[in-house]
Amino acid sequence: MKKLLLYVILTLIAFLMLSPLLWMVSTSLSKDSVIVSTSLIPKEFTLENYVKAWNFPRIFNKDITFGTFFLNSIIVTVCLVIGGLFFDSLAGYVLARKDFPGRTLFFYAALITLMIPFYVTAIPMFLIVKGLGWINTYQGLIVPFLSSGFGIYMFKQYFQTIPIELEEAAKTDGYSDFWIYARVIVPLAKPAFATMGILKFLWSWNMFFWPLIVTTDIKMKVLQLGLTMFRGLNVTQWGLLTAGMTMATLPTILVYLLFQRYFTSGLIAGSLKG
Amino acid sequence: MIVTNRKEKVGYYLFLLPAYLIFAVFIFWPVVHSLYLSFFKYNIVTITSPQFVGLRNYLYLLKDEVFWISCKNTLFFVIGTVPVKMFLGLLAAMLLNRKDLKFKAFYRTCFYIPVVVSMVAISIVWMLLFNPGPNGVVNILLSKFGIQPLGWIADSKLALPTVMLLVIWKDLGYIMVIYLAGLMAIPDEIYEAVALDPVSSWQKFWYITWPLLKPTTIFILITQVIDSFQVFTPIYVMTEGGPGYSSTTIVNYLYDKGFREYEMGIACAVAYLLFVVLLVLTILQNKLSKAEEVSYD
Repeated sequence: MKKLLLYVILTLIAFLMLSPLLWMVSTSLSKDSVIVSTSLIPKEFTLENYVKAWNFPRIFNKDITFGTFFLNSIIVTVCLVIGGLFFDSLAGYVLARKDFPGRTLFFYAALITLMIPFYVTAIPMFLIVKGLGWINTYQGLIVPFLSSGFGIYMFKQYFQTIPIELEEAAKTDGYSDFWIYARVIVPLAKPAFATMGILKFLWSWNMFFWPLIVTTDIKMKVLQLGLTMFRGLNVTQWGLLTAGMTMATLPTILVYLLFQRYFTSGLIAGSLKG
Repeated sequence: MIVTNRKEKVGYYLFLLPAYLIFAVFIFWPVVHSLYLSFFKYNIVTITSPQFVGLRNYLYLLKDEVFWISCKNTLFFVIGTVPVKMFLGLLAAMLLNRKDLKFKAFYRTCFYIPVVVSMVAISIVWMLLFNPGPNGVVNILLSKFGIQPLGWIADSKLALPTVMLLVIWKDLGYIMVIYLAGLMAIPDEIYEAVALDPVSSWQKFWYITWPLLKPTTIFILITQVIDSFQVFTPIYVMTEGGPGYSSTTIVNYLYDKGFREYEMGIACAVAYLLFVVLLVLTILQNKLSKAEEVSYD
């Protein structure tokens, strides 16, 4: 009996947690009406809001739509994920396996970057990007965040768990360090790449402040910025608005649902230093 | 370690070069430059080169009422959200931490999905839900209990609390997951050792669970406080710091000074004051977690 109560409470709380999202989806699938609906099931089912949202806004320029913002986010995120994984794992590899002058210094330098809040560096970062002429460009959005201290740290820790005999064997066969990295280490570290890749994907997709300050041209806006243009709709077109929001949240929810185990392992590894 | 000759060691620095070049240009140099600029008057729209003004930017902040309002709001935000998030997250973790619970993954997912949802998108949805006036979803629900419609983000007393509600809802799943890991690390033997004694659930929690969770709690507390100090996005999207300045926080203030008024010098001064506060908290966390040596004897 006590167990039943527990399940009831848990289900109620879970429902409560999801209710804003359920309402968002339901409203996006309902025909707009003068009085807003509080129900979680669409009263008059329609997909027209999604068509309208995808074609929104086309105000300043007929070609700029939700799709434009979506594509920008994809480009930026893919570059950040691939570039970030590459840069961080390269550094993590030599920090894990090789001995050279300044090794400890470099390692602590990576850790120190984690202690520096983004907003402290944001303004000079902005000035540098502006000086390079990278305002309103993809490289301005991507380059400053390609490397991450967290990534380097995690890759170093993981690479140290790979048995060294494999690298020693390749070394005696005369293969170069980069070859060993690319052909031996990377394939063996797939879980680490998956976890770090997914975390970087989430972080890049949801990035807001930086795109806000380095992007002024509407056609370069990433999705998170483009969404703010939907705010003006909050008087009447709730279906259109929620359809846009649903499309924006779907990618990260899908990634989470598909790759759940990488989340918990990445989180735990980050919080328990050991 | 693999032993190699000196020529190959040069190659190692090439492995480090991409990542550390980015660090040098976009993190280490800016940290220094930010402090430097905080002593200059530098408006990038009206002035072409920075003018040295010494401590004048910091004095400006000390005298600016809006800056103090933003500090007060930020403190209110941190104190109002972090303990609540942690309490609810711990509660949820304890509810879920039972071996015999079916659908555990399902429940965990329900709690965690808000964490991965885009902050911008959910802020806009929150604006709809908490629409002031009779046509807002929450107001309609409240009216069924006979409560008058509330102003929410249009009310200077409720604007920040509305944002705080969003942040609590969004983050508690993350805290739950961390606490779950901490709870699962507690060996069953400890509870079994007192199974024969007349020990109440509350006593079990207070004398066994809670002390063993101290490292987890310290970690969550400090990281959440550091994060909460830097809140920006939901406020920018939902209230733009208003009505008036009632929901302006430190980073909102920094953004307004640096990217609305283009006063880079002042913005850097704000950033450095924030940096000092956060640095103290980070060092505090390091000291506290080193001091916590928990043994399972």
